[in-house]
Amino acid sequence: MTDFPRLLEVLSRGGVKFIIVGGFAGTLHGSSVPTRDLDIVYSRDSGNVRRLVEALAAHAPYLRGAPPGLPFLWDPATVEKGLNFTLTSKLGAIDLLGEIAGGGDYERLLPDTVLVQIFGVECLCLKLETLIKVKRAAGRTKDLLAVADLEALKEERDQSRD
Amino acid sequence: MDPLLELCKQEVDRTLLRENLKLTPEQRALELMSLLAAAEEFQRAGRAIRAMR
Repeated sequence: MTDFPRLLEVLSRGGVKFIIVGGFAGTLHGSSVPTRDLDIVYSRDSGNVRRLVEALAAHAPYLRGAPPGLPFLWDPATVEKGLNFTLTSKLGAIDLLGEIAGGGDYERLLPDTVLVQIFGVECLCLKLETLIKVKRAAGRTKDLLAVADLEALKEERDQSRD
Repeated sequence: MDPLLELCKQEVDRTLLRENLKLTPEQRALELMSLLAAAEEFQRAGRAIRAMR
């Protein structure tokens, strides 16, 4: 099972600039759709890529679903050459996204985030409205129920604020 | 308006959402982790039963 508290702690204490997106962001907002992995959008600046690599290095990141033994080298050059990485690790499943459809990269998403205090660290989480927008933009059939859940959640949240 | 999405929204259990909205983000995350732990336990139990047959 993914160790969400440890992953967030490792990233935050490592000084990694990241935004929680995807299903876990939905959970933090109150979605009832469960998720098994942590999706983050990370800043692509070279200092941040180095911090990201260092933070996860001790937790054996590897390509999720890939056969064991592939020559996957977890270093800044690998991250800089790629963009989005679907990984497994000793702390569980984590998706590292350089950018997301309908939302763009870390810098572009920053104004659409909220600060969340969780498990002793402060993290940026994508706003509910933007989460809905990017899930819609992804256009995946599997996201249909998640989008419906998030839209219903937004309606309930807005009603409770009135 | 997407009619398929509207149909899916009708199936959402809003009572769960209302309960979740009463919690803090950390409490919501802990609820998720409890759910995942329970699901893993059920899967383990299922595998054990199949192995006994």
